[in-house]
Amino acid sequence: MNVRKKRGVMIALAAAVILMALVCLFIGSSHMSLGDCLRALTKSGDPAAVRIIWNIRIPRVLAAVIAGAGLSVSGLMMQTTLNNSMASPSTLGVSNAAVFGANLSIIAFAGGFLSTGNNLQSYAVSANPYATSVMAFLFSTASILLILALCRIRAFSPNVVVLAGIAIGSVWTAATTVLQFYATDVGLSAAVIWSFGDLGRATYRTDAIMFVAVALSTVFFLLLSWHYNALLSGEATAKSMGVRVDGLRFASLLLSSVITAVCVSFLGVIGFVGIICPHVVKKLLGQDHRLSIPASALCGSLLLLAADTLSRSLGNGSALPVGAITSLLGAPFFIAIIFSKKENG
Amino acid sequence: MLTIENLQFRYGKRSPQVLRGVDLTLQDGEIGIILGKNGCGKTTLFQNILGINDPDEGRMLFDGEDLLHMPRRQRARRIAYVPQHIHFGALSVFDSVLMGRVSYFGLRAGQEDCDAVRSILREMQLEDFARRNAEELSGGEKQKIAIARAMAQQPRLLVFDEPTGNLDIANEQLIVEETKKLAREKRVAILSSLHDLNQALDMGDRFFFMKDGVIKYTGGKEMFTPEVMEDIFDIRVRVVEVDGQKIIIGGKKQ
Repeated sequence: MNVRKKRGVMIALAAAVILMALVCLFIGSSHMSLGDCLRALTKSGDPAAVRIIWNIRIPRVLAAVIAGAGLSVSGLMMQTTLNNSMASPSTLGVSNAAVFGANLSIIAFAGGFLSTGNNLQSYAVSANPYATSVMAFLFSTASILLILALCRIRAFSPNVVVLAGIAIGSVWTAATTVLQFYATDVGLSAAVIWSFGDLGRATYRTDAIMFVAVALSTVFFLLLSWHYNALLSGEATAKSMGVRVDGLRFASLLLSSVITAVCVSFLGVIGFVGIICPHVVKKLLGQDHRLSIPASALCGSLLLLAADTLSRSLGNGSALPVGAITSLLGAPFFIAIIFSKKENG
Repeated sequence: MLTIENLQFRYGKRSPQVLRGVDLTLQDGEIGIILGKNGCGKTTLFQNILGINDPDEGRMLFDGEDLLHMPRRQRARRIAYVPQHIHFGALSVFDSVLMGRVSYFGLRAGQEDCDAVRSILREMQLEDFARRNAEELSGGEKQKIAIARAMAQQPRLLVFDEPTGNLDIANEQLIVEETKKLAREKRVAILSSLHDLNQALDMGDRFFFMKDGVIKYTGGKEMFTPEVMEDIFDIRVRVVEVDGQKIIIGGKKQ
């Protein structure tokens, strides 16, 4: 594919993200007309509509754009630095650790162990609305640091990282199962519902935190595009070209995992974005990271916006888990791309 | 230019020693060929020279400078590598060669880097390939692009790991000629491993016969004797001369 076509694909992706963001903004359970939405956007018209647009839909759309971009870029960096096309943002067990942290917060501290029974009021987010997110983030960060420290002791090879990630991830899953076994019915439901990805939890503050993590990491990745390109030639060749492969791998895995940790902590588990989107982009535009990093970000935003719009349209008043929709929406497209004869250019 | 003294290396504390005291010297514009059986330590020696692995003992000097304490980017401007298995990650030929300049530009390639690449592509008659996907080229073409990428590093020493291992006879000859040209015209020193003894004779100036992690014999073409071959490869060969050129024939396992 020549430069002009690649530029065309990038512009089309950016246009699709803007269009999908508008569609996402104008569709919802309150069945507002297009005119109502536009008036609400200018903060005129029905105050309820203004509140829906500004307090619910815009934070949600921003969350989809930011988290989709972050998870997708995170997946791309994992795949490149680990030289493993099956790597994803969850490869280091970050999501499993976040789920454990959230479960601990919900089941152990919000009433489960400490309450006398299935007391729904115990689960009201009265103390601190961010408590569960903070716990999820703390555990996922601890998990990242543990894995990276283990890999630092041993040779920092991709296989060691992937295997350590699988092992530590399964420990968190097992611990979550034990926790859920002792949970009350209400605690268990609350914990399970938390683990479904849901963009409805987003606020301007959580969007801002996610934006800082995603934007700073993506700028770092973009600046080092050539170093990632060099890694595509193989570790030995990259080292011989002057690339500090171990340092690059460590920093990239850390930042990718932090992106995932932040997004999962605020929104719950949203799978598949980080594996589908980088593959689609590599098929469409090739592997040059100067293009594949921004294109992956756009593709991730597009997929999550589309999945969220669909989840709210199909949910009959309440949104279906967006993580399930990303997989349902992305998997067939992904398979079609994988089996298409078109080569990357 | 390159002096290696008593180089020792093992992959882990409990692993056997792979390099057991390698000594080697190479001059500017010289083509040095390392010969030996599989597993004798050739690739490990290359990895030590390139800084992919650090030796346990020994010294490596490049024009008197200690290679072991040289920053990675500085080392990359002196020594480049052409691996046996070549990958470019579906980049264009131009970008693949430009990648060789990463030790110079760091984050973003400048005009100077692009000009250097254009000049290399012109010299190596690869201009027509510039926009093509490097992964889609033939084995010989890829090998040439990998040499161009290595030359973009403006190295004084080029390390080749089995440069003709996967090529047909025409492409083999093309790479041998290209290598000789670099050494003769650019005065780049070449250190290469080869399995084909006749090709080694055709290409090399100095030969390092390696066995069990040490270089047992060093010298010119006169070193190709049945006795040396028998000691290094455990086979009996005949060495004949045709039109003043040595040819190795046959080989019976001991």
